[in-house]
Amino acid sequence: MLEIEHISHTYETNGRRVEALRDVSLSIRDGEFISFVGPSGCGKTTLLRILDGLTEQSGGRVVFNGVELEGVSQEMGFVFQDINLLPWRSVRQNVEIGLEARRMPAAERRARAVEALRMVGLDEVADVPPYALSGGMQQRVGVARALAIHPKMLLMDEPFGHLDNFTRETLQIEVSKLWSKLGTTVVFVTHDVDEAIFLSNRIVLFKGRPGRLAKIIEVDLPHPRWEFNVRGHPRAIEMRESIIEYLGIRDEVLV
Amino acid sequence: MSVARSARLRRRPGSHPWLERAAPVAAVAALLLAWQWSGLYLNSILISTPLAVAQDLVQLVTRRVIFEPLMESLEEVVIGGVLGIVFGVALGVLMGRYQLVEKVLSPFVNFLNATPLVVIIPLVIIWLGISQNARLLFIFLITLWPILLNTLAGMRNVSRGYVEVGTAFRLSEMQLMWKVSLPAAVPYILAGARVAAGLAIIGMIVSEMEVSLTGLGYLLITYGNSFETGQLLAVVFVSSMFGVGAVLLLKWIQATFFPWIIASAAQQH
Repeated sequence: MLEIEHISHTYETNGRRVEALRDVSLSIRDGEFISFVGPSGCGKTTLLRILDGLTEQSGGRVVFNGVELEGVSQEMGFVFQDINLLPWRSVRQNVEIGLEARRMPAAERRARAVEALRMVGLDEVADVPPYALSGGMQQRVGVARALAIHPKMLLMDEPFGHLDNFTRETLQIEVSKLWSKLGTTVVFVTHDVDEAIFLSNRIVLFKGRPGRLAKIIEVDLPHPRWEFNVRGHPRAIEMRESIIEYLGIRDEVLV
Repeated sequence: MSVARSARLRRRPGSHPWLERAAPVAAVAALLLAWQWSGLYLNSILISTPLAVAQDLVQLVTRRVIFEPLMESLEEVVIGGVLGIVFGVALGVLMGRYQLVEKVLSPFVNFLNATPLVVIIPLVIIWLGISQNARLLFIFLITLWPILLNTLAGMRNVSRGYVEVGTAFRLSEMQLMWKVSLPAAVPYILAGARVAAGLAIIGMIVSEMEVSLTGLGYLLITYGNSFETGQLLAVVFVSSMFGVGAVLLLKWIQATFFPWIIASAAQQH
């Protein structure tokens, strides 16, 4: 169980005070797939970074299984939108980076990395340099890098934002399968409503200026989702309509 | 049709691939011809002729005059240059890593980098006399700064994304330096090495002219003083080969040990 308690975050840029998050509280259950959805600048990525410890909040606390988190957390695997694989390392060595930080012996590290790469279907390119891979494959490596440390939670920051539609849909199915196989808690940031509906148990809607938690939606669609046309499901259509309505995306387009 | 068209699109306007390949060869040939032809009118002491220079070069080799100075010079450039690279990278890393080291060293670094270092030759002679060690020290001092400053710049300009990855996966400060910052600085260090190689060769020639009874620089001075222009230019040609060799060596090092530099840059564009 992860408790987010009254988290707020403000920072200054160019002498201007920006309130990125105002008093956000939320509990994330073990093993659930939860998405943060909202327009740009609503603080969803900031909250994710605070959960990982990459950004320090200005107020409130994050409690994981009864322990307050400080600094970058051991238990979280982070998947970046900009994958930033280190080009001087092979794919496998990139996946090993979090294990090197834990001072794991080389042989064990290698085995864990290959295991993580196998989970995303890339064990055959373990010794290839990352720039030889397509964008979709690189993002799979990004997922493997996070899985290799055997995290209790996977934090994914718009991981498919830069990918084309076909690759994105393939990866959505793969992430969904991985999640149902591993049972890891996943926190997934996206601005793609369909993606959130396809993947999640719950969707947290954020609004901007100041960034705040606006609404939580239970996605009551059956699992596994890759076995039917989620997008065409009447309940999904209804949910998408109400989310778009609620976030006021349509109004903004018209104005 | 579409292939021809895309090839045309890629070319710059007014380009002629065949001519572009032939033109530089023709330019060199024309210069050599003009030079040879000038020999009919000018005193050979002034600029000699290509054929005479080629003959002198062959003689320098067959009479084994060139080998000892050549090896001497090569030794100086390699040892001095390698020392410059090792210390330059080490100091650059320390300055990049520890703010205090940087604050302490930066006045010296900036001052010495701005100084035309030939001026320290007399000082080096006072310390070490006319010796190979004096020349090594000079070459070392002249190559140190570009490597040091480039290493420092490289450590400063590590992509924030790489550092974030290192932080998110809990690398220690030391690990961040060795596993992220230093490798990321390699393109900068290699660029510094290219500058340093040029300076090392200049340093080698200049110090041999000033502080030597052997080496290519000494040969240059000797032939110059005795108006042996053909032999002088033959030695000049050999010195140029140093520069060419250094450039090729650095290219080879980059392609062999750091293939990711070009490959990953190409992917980003």
